[in-house]
Amino acid sequence: MLGKQWLNRYASTDMRGTAIQRSQNRQRKLDGVITWYFDHVMESLPLMLQIALLLLGLALSRYLWEVNIIVACVVLGVTSLGVTFYVFIVIAGTAFESCPYQTPIARTLRHTFHWIYLYTPHPVHVVISNLIQISWCCQLPGGWWSSLEQPWYSTTNIVTSLTCIALLPVALLVDLSRLVPEIVWSLLQDEPTVTSPQTHVLDKQTIVLDLRCISWILQTSLDKAVHLSTLKHLQQQMLTPINFDPAIVAYCFDVFIGCISVNGYEVVVMQGLEQLTSVSALCLFHTISHLWVMDPTSSALRDVRQYYNKIFPANVAFYGHQFSHTMNAIHQVFIQSVGHRGFRWGHYKPPGDEHTLVAHTLLKLAQFGYQRMGQAKVPRLILRFALHSLSLDPLPPAPVIADCLSIIAVDLGCDISDTGAMTLDERYVHTP
Amino acid sequence: MAKAEDYHQLQSKRKAITTLLPYAVRLEKDGQPDMLNTFIHAARASKEWELTWHHTWKYAKKLPHKASPHAFVLVSPHVRWYLLTDSGDLVQQWAAAASAVPYTEEVGQSVVDVLLQIVEVDELAPYIPTDMWSWLIRQPSLPPVCYGRVVGSHAHVFRAVRALKDIEVLKSYLLLVWSEWGYIQDGKCFDAMCASIWKYFSGNGMGGHRAELIQRLDHILGQLDWGLEHLKEHNPQLGRYDLWRMKSQYRELREVLLEVERCMFSLILSFPHTDSKLNTIQWFGEDVCQCVVSSSGTEVIVPLL
Repeated sequence: MLGKQWLNRYASTDMRGTAIQRSQNRQRKLDGVITWYFDHVMESLPLMLQIALLLLGLALSRYLWEVNIIVACVVLGVTSLGVTFYVFIVIAGTAFESCPYQTPIARTLRHTFHWIYLYTPHPVHVVISNLIQISWCCQLPGGWWSSLEQPWYSTTNIVTSLTCIALLPVALLVDLSRLVPEIVWSLLQDEPTVTSPQTHVLDKQTIVLDLRCISWILQTSLDKAVHLSTLKHLQQQMLTPINFDPAIVAYCFDVFIGCISVNGYEVVVMQGLEQLTSVSALCLFHTISHLWVMDPTSSALRDVRQYYNKIFPANVAFYGHQFSHTMNAIHQVFIQSVGHRGFRWGHYKPPGDEHTLVAHTLLKLAQFGYQRMGQAKVPRLILRFALHSLSLDPLPPAPVIADCLSIIAVDLGCDISDTGAMTLDERYVHTP
Repeated sequence: MAKAEDYHQLQSKRKAITTLLPYAVRLEKDGQPDMLNTFIHAARASKEWELTWHHTWKYAKKLPHKASPHAFVLVSPHVRWYLLTDSGDLVQQWAAAASAVPYTEEVGQSVVDVLLQIVEVDELAPYIPTDMWSWLIRQPSLPPVCYGRVVGSHAHVFRAVRALKDIEVLKSYLLLVWSEWGYIQDGKCFDAMCASIWKYFSGNGMGGHRAELIQRLDHILGQLDWGLEHLKEHNPQLGRYDLWRMKSQYRELREVLLEVERCMFSLILSFPHTDSKLNTIQWFGEDVCQCVVSSSGTEVIVPLL
């Protein structure tokens, strides 16, 4: 109740005075909130209630134990259930930041573990992660879980579960005998034997999160400036091969359509939206390519194609615009209109980052196209891009050259495996 | 792939190979000629007249600025000159580059190949410096599949060579164009060759040239006698018809040369004790022939039977 009173006091709005006076008053209240650790106090109130409830349950159980054991057992059971549930949500909240069942204890624990993680030497991290990977005790539950069959009460499941339980002490003994010398040996070594791709995993997680945010912003916002900054961010994220929400393709296309008007065969860009149009066209090209490679039968792709055909006539003219090459490439690769077969890269000379993005996208399309066309050749449009880029003076950035040479290598039948493509992506990610 | 010399595969991948050309040229200029050498090797091993992808043709105009003279000369046979009708300056730049490069067999082949290709284009031919024709005299051996040889046996190319009035150049031209790798496709050119043999290789002091031409034709006919399979190893585009045409044409040319030789012999026998100077033999058909003889400052036309 006290907390409720405090919050009402904070949330109350001054109706008198000038705007400056009111804002000064609001700022004063906010400063007080920070100075007096209001958030910590507010967080501690429910915690105190929870502790009080736990103490009540324990005390009641203790009291009833001497009066009636059966009733005491019931109270003890309920209390234990509550404690177990609380412990579970604390663990879940500590382990997963996105878990909605957060508690103050979980947050404190997470900060503590994070602090320990930060101040622990890197070799120790590597040793621990390696040991977790090779530990029998860690592998046993995973193996048990994956071997479960439907229905859960089947004989096989029961036998497997019992075997796992029986093997657990054995695994523990084996781990102890095997891992202790390994820990000592690993810590004595200067360099860790196996490196962990921790940074990369974190990068990917961040990018996945970013892409979800981008999808949400594009879906909800109507502000062109927000669209521009969001799509620029998307442009930077797209070099890493991450699966994203297919709806992003449609959102990019919506933004592009929102910037132009089509008069007959001519496309006119609205005044002041030139940059947004170019960026959205580029993002559309990249996302549509990525989706096409990942899932050519995607319904999102089909919808965008239908929508595209509805808006643009078959021989639409994008010429004269900054995005003309991008849109013509989309038109030729994904829409495959006869009217655009004569498309040339011509005077295409984009900025370095755009060129890098387009080259990388086309490399992926080349690999995909080569596989789809029965290992015969990559689409000629892409090979012409490589020729054009390698003919430019001055030469484009090194990643573009690498991608162009890779496109040629694909057409020559060289095996550029997925691992190779990943290597390229990692290089791009770490390139400032 | 280039090392394997599988020409079918090379032909099927010619677009990808050609796409590498701009980058290879740039690397060569930076002192790394390996990629360009591989390209040249692949182009030759492909046994294709026109290996280059048509999208690279526009790049040709940039070659003088982007490539070293050596690279420019070596790549120039793969430029489609007949599409560059407005590039007279490119011809002059090519000639300058060829003059700046030390002579090797490979360079000689490229220069002669390109020279014949350029002469074939009416708009470009006037831009060829006269001294470039001296490259023919070096007589580099053109490869079995060579676009310059094909277009070089067109009638107006032969006319251009003949117009130079240089017997050494004319002889070298014939020695280059006559080959076991192809027949003279232009009938007018063939007729003009026969007539020119009478006109230009029948005077005094031409015996050595005739001997060289006959020797060349003997060599070609000897090679043709090996059969089609032997020839197809080097030029897979050859067929039975080509072999038949080659045999008939080169035999005929040889016959003409031998006929001139016989006429010369009979003339020398006819004027054994004079200081007459035999200028030319004019040929007016299969049976009608006459010679122009200078004697004491006057020219006498003597009919031959």
